[in-house]
This record gives sequence, structure tokens and C-alpha cells, in this order.
Amino acid sequence: MDSLNKYLILGAVASILLMSACSGETEDGTVDNGQKVIDPELLDPNRSFNTNFDGKLFSVPSPVQTALLIRSSNLAYDESLLNSETNISNYASNTSKSLNLGIYGADLGYATLYDQNAKALSYINAVESLSNDLGIAGAFDANFLERFEANSNNQDSMLVILTEAFRKGDLFLKESDRKNSSALILTGGWLESMHFATNLYAKSKDKRIFHRIGEQKQSLETILEILKEYNVDGVNDEILAQLGGLNELFQTVEISNEFVEPVTDESKKLTTIKNKSTMIMSAELEESIRAKVAEIRAAIVGQSVEG
Amino acid sequence: MKKIFIASILSVFFGAFQVTAQDCDSIARVVETYITNDAKGKPFVSDGQVYVAFLDNEKAEFNTTLFGGSYYRLAASAGVKDDYVIFSIFDAEDNLLFTNRNHKNSPYWDFKIENTVPVRIQTELDRDKKVTGCAVLMIGFLK
Repeated sequence: MDSLNKYLILGAVASILLMSACSGETEDGTVDNGQKVIDPELLDPNRSFNTNFDGKLFSVPSPVQTALLIRSSNLAYDESLLNSETNISNYASNTSKSLNLGIYGADLGYATLYDQNAKALSYINAVESLSNDLGIAGAFDANFLERFEANSNNQDSMLVILTEAFRKGDLFLKESDRKNSSALILTGGWLESMHFATNLYAKSKDKRIFHRIGEQKQSLETILEILKEYNVDGVNDEILAQLGGLNELFQTVEISNEFVEPVTDESKKLTTIKNKSTMIMSAELEESIRAKVAEIRAAIVGQSVEG
Repeated sequence: MKKIFIASILSVFFGAFQVTAQDCDSIARVVETYITNDAKGKPFVSDGQVYVAFLDNEKAEFNTTLFGGSYYRLAASAGVKDDYVIFSIFDAEDNLLFTNRNHKNSPYWDFKIENTVPVRIQTELDRDKKVTGCAVLMIGFLK
């Protein structure tokens, strides 16, 4: 019995110590009299618990940003660019579902920006279905659907509600240690935005879209980095090989930046970043990128490549 | 008996991580309140991602591209007070473009981007104010 008590007491003390070491909110090092009291152990740079919650952080630009650029170019809505909702029954694996959730999300954003509300609502069903399958139904729940539908005459609100839902799903996946699903959703969204941009550049020859395509060089490098990081048991091997081929093409895109002192307006909490940048990409290279994007996307959505 | 001891340690250890995830979730809700409208009332659209790191001595950072002609808001928090997190933006040559350290650790800041610029965004805790905990950063942009 003494031995039992000893272990229980030891366990309790160790538990309290662990709780106090790991809980973030109680560790601001402040006591009532305002003095800072910091556990020396926490300040030890060699302490073993010096790690990111997430291991690594990654960022992929939103596909909505590219769709916004396309919209501002006054290019007509092109429904043929979207992945048909009827393809959804073809997506069986988590990888396929995650990639196509990203693709449908980008399609939803594109349709919303062009006020194609009926189409947008049909894509909501596709997004809801895949998010249910992936266990992130909470992000696209009844409340989301209700808000999205209720604001169907307010494009700004629809975009805010849509992107908030994706952000909620992203946080849920990261907190539940399903970062690969998060990475694949981002990959699908990015690829769809490249599909929009390359196809619409082919029609319009809009220089801003051309530049936006070339400027995706770093985004692709980030995507490859994420997919490699979370490539457990080779689940990402196929998409990595496909995107690796695209990355080879992007390596010949030349991007340079020149530092220019930023200007800050303290009263507006606004800083203007004035760096100059140049992007050099040949028309032939853009065509090769377009063809490669089409090939990868077709493999993901399950369509044959036209042309 | 040793099993009881180990079990109590493990349960609290994993419990602590659960607390951390809950902390991150509640902090994310705080950051969401900053990604709202600009001064003219135009809403910021989320980039659809949440940048979460459990920080103590380390800095968390990621690369991204800020596109020319865009207007962004960055917001960060690590708890109930507004000024726990320092976030800084560097260009590809490590030139400092911005740090909220120079602005009383303001929890959010807006950025007008004249030309597309690849950047590195770095977050850390202001160790005079908080030494360990979950930090959350979000990015929004204007339509």
C-alpha cells in the first residue's frame, strides 16, 4: 500500500509539473505583482520540447486570388473549365478526395466571382460531400450552407463565408494531425487556379495573367516541400512525380527582386511594400507549363486531355 | 505499480497536447476577429489557411508570395493579450520589410504590395511577455 501511495504521489507531482510545462496560456511568466517569473528550464535553449506544433509551416496562395485577377481582366465566364460535379463518384481514395476537394473549392470560388449562383450552389454539394467523406464536415455544416445561401446576392459575403469554411477545415486537419489531407486540398486548389490561368491566358494573352503564371514558381516549390514532408508510405509519390515534372519547367522561369525601402503609415497600420520584381518566361515555356498542368489535372479529375 | 505511474504520466502528457490543441483553437478564434474589414469597410477574404506553431525559444517561419496589386492583412495572436507575437516579413535577400516589433507588437497590420514579392514570414513570441505557447497567424486579402 505504501508503495502504491508512493507511485500515485509521484505520478501526481510529475503530472502537475508536466501540465505546468506544457500549458501555453498559464505560461506568460507574469504574477500578480507584475514581476516576471520565468522558469529557468523554459529558457534553456537545449530543452527537448523546443518544437513547432506543426513541425513546419507552409503557405500556398489562395486560388481565389488568381480567380480575382481573371475576373478583373473582364474575361467571360467559362464553365467548360470547371470539373464536372458528376465526376465526384470517381473519387475513392483519401488522396483523390482531398485533391478534388481543393479543385471543387477553386471552382466554387470561380463560379461565385462570376455570380453563377446556381452553379456555385451545385458545387457546394460536391464540396460538402467530399468534406463529409474526409471527416471535416464541421467546416461545411448546415450553418455554412445556410449563411452561403442567405448571402447569395452578396458576392463579398459569399467569398468570405467560403474561404472561412476552408480555413476552418484547414485548422481542423492540422489539429487532428492530418496535415497531408490539408496539403493535398491546397495542392488541388492551386492546380485548379493554374488550370484557369493557363487556359484563359491562351485565349486572352493578358500580360497580367502571364506574369501570374510565372510567379507561381515559389508556390510550386512550397507544394512539393509539403507533399514530401507528409509523404507517409508513399501516398504522395504519384502526385510528387507529376508535379516534379512541372517544377522542372518552372526552374527555367527567371525571377529577380530588388529591395526598395518600404513606406509605413503608422496611423493607418499600413506598410507599402515597394520592392521591384521581374519575371522572365518565354511564350514556349508557358505553353509547356499549360500542357503539363492540363495533363496533371486530367489525371486527378479523371478526364482525358483535349488537344 | 510502475504501470500506474507511467499511465498517469502518459495520460497527462497526451492531455497536455489536447489542451494545447484547444488553446490553438481558441487563439485562432481571436485571430479571426482581426481578419475582418479594412478601414473603408471592405471585407478581407481568408487565404483558407491557419498557420499554427507551438513556440518557445524557436521561431516559426514560412515562405509565401505576396502578389503585386494586392492588399493583405496579417494577424497573429498567442493568447488573451494582443501583443504576445512578433511577426516579421523578409524578402528573398533577407531584407527586413516589416516587423510589428516596431509598432508595439500590433496584432494585425495591412500591406499594399506594388510588385509581386516572394517573402519569408517569421513569427516568434515576445519573450518579455510570454515564454511558451501556441501562436496562430492568418492572412487575408482584399477582393
